[in-house]
Amino acid sequence: MWQTLWTVLFFVSITIFAGMSVWVSIAGYHDLKRLFKRLNEDQSEDGE
Amino acid sequence: MGTEFTEALSRTNFSSFDWAIVVVYLSISVVIGLFVKKYVRNMTTYLGAGRAIGTWLGVATMTGTEMGLITVMYNSQKGFKAGFAAFHIALAALIVTFIVGITGFIVCRLREMEVLTIPEFYEKRFDRKTRILGGIMLTLGGILNMGLFLKVGSMFIVGITGLSQDSRALPAVMTILLVLVLVYTVLGGMISVVVTDYIQFVVLSFGMVVTTLICLNKMGWGEIMETVQTLKGVSGMNPLAEGSGFGISYVMWMFFTAGLVSCAIWPTAVARALAMESTQAVKRQYMWSSISFMIRFLIPSFWGICAFVFIMTMAPDLKALFFPADPTAQVVDNLYAMPIFLGRILPAGLIGIITAAMIAAFMSTHDSYLLCWSSVITQDVIAPIMGKNFSTANRIKWTRILIVVIGLYILYWGLVYEGNDDIWDYMSVTGAIYFTGAFSLLVGGLYWKGASSNGAFMALLSGLTAILGLDPVQRLVGLKVVDTDTGDIIRQTMTGDQIGLFTVALTIVVFVLGSFIFPDKPKTIEPAAA
Repeated sequence: MWQTLWTVLFFVSITIFAGMSVWVSIAGYHDLKRLFKRLNEDQSEDGE
Repeated sequence: MGTEFTEALSRTNFSSFDWAIVVVYLSISVVIGLFVKKYVRNMTTYLGAGRAIGTWLGVATMTGTEMGLITVMYNSQKGFKAGFAAFHIALAALIVTFIVGITGFIVCRLREMEVLTIPEFYEKRFDRKTRILGGIMLTLGGILNMGLFLKVGSMFIVGITGLSQDSRALPAVMTILLVLVLVYTVLGGMISVVVTDYIQFVVLSFGMVVTTLICLNKMGWGEIMETVQTLKGVSGMNPLAEGSGFGISYVMWMFFTAGLVSCAIWPTAVARALAMESTQAVKRQYMWSSISFMIRFLIPSFWGICAFVFIMTMAPDLKALFFPADPTAQVVDNLYAMPIFLGRILPAGLIGIITAAMIAAFMSTHDSYLLCWSSVITQDVIAPIMGKNFSTANRIKWTRILIVVIGLYILYWGLVYEGNDDIWDYMSVTGAIYFTGAFSLLVGGLYWKGASSNGAFMALLSGLTAILGLDPVQRLVGLKVVDTDTGDIIRQTMTGDQIGLFTVALTIVVFVLGSFIFPDKPKTIEPAAA
């Protein structure tokens, strides 16, 4: 039972993690661009 | 530690090309710190990145911080010692973090209150004295908790690069790393942390998946399972079995610590939630991060298991060091097993990328923790005492000074602490000084109207009981008696996990009783010191 549980957990997890890593890397990059855009806007408002 | 150990270390695949990869990668971190300094205008941008972090960046940065080198090292140690039974810790992290994501338990209510730190919540909910004591307990537990980071990080670098642990190069490398962290954290605060965490996430997740595939290819899943089964028996699979080193109380402790505390009470994880753009983003972040939280236990444990199998079946020179036939021979610390193993199986180039990512992980853990503890002292101990006289410029200045002071302290603590706990168990106990009390205050304060400030204050103090779980303290007070010749435990009244669970129960009881016996007087609402 434990062998099966750990085998399933391991392979399912690593597969999901691999896919999620690709997605988070791409989507996270877009979030990073938005973050800097907002920080630049805030900085411009402060400068006015 | 002997010529055999030095000889074993020298057989790594780590090359000059790999050193070049490491240097280039780490230089980027410093450049980022210098670049984002211009965005730091107030404490919200310095500590909270302007509360403008989107879901996916939040997942990346949460993972980047929480999947540190120390995490990799202590989990590989668990896998090396306990085999697949150590996987239960990963399962606990997955289940609990996902539930927190679905329900928003603790984290969403905190985000709604728009606090920057947990002790700030203490003042809003209870009173100023609770905030100050909470800040002290948090930093005490937190700084002790990271006391072995530098030491453990150095063991990884020694193991994978073959750098001699006796040479002056190693302390110099560790000092340089700490200085780099201090530079970009002091300058850029949370914005630096977020950006470097993101880069680290990308490199580390790629590296971890590829490394795991290499381990599977070289050793074979079936062979690994069979070897563990043969050499460790059922205790290498079942965490509840006799001889596994775990047991029911330990598994419960893991659901609490690796599960709930790691994601919803530990300040560095909660800091991400407080920086998210909305409560919906917080929930999404936690649901997705549950996979990362599990992976950070699972993959390193697996590497530790692979290191064990490799040493026992493919590397007789290492077997003689880690499991000498002569019972009186000195045994090499098993924390070295995984990095030495990776140094042998990873090809040049990839080993440089993995090492750079691990060192970056090491640095990202340090930057988040240094920022967290220093900001707590500034915001939650000094600021409430100074009141309105404490300007934003002074707060940022003091946070930066404290980052440096704490950095110097952990350099010192890594040299003096002498204890035989596993690293994860040391961290659970030192962290428990803070989180046992914090658990009661957060749950009680957020969900129970009857919680009082005196009950909260008493519960925080009772969290100090957790220190009885530390190995040197246990020996000092007689809770553990050890044979000084063999190191075997002769008698142990309560294990560290049992003391941890006891302390949680104690803080709950003290909090509830204290709230009933000393209820809050009805008060006029005053704005908390921001």
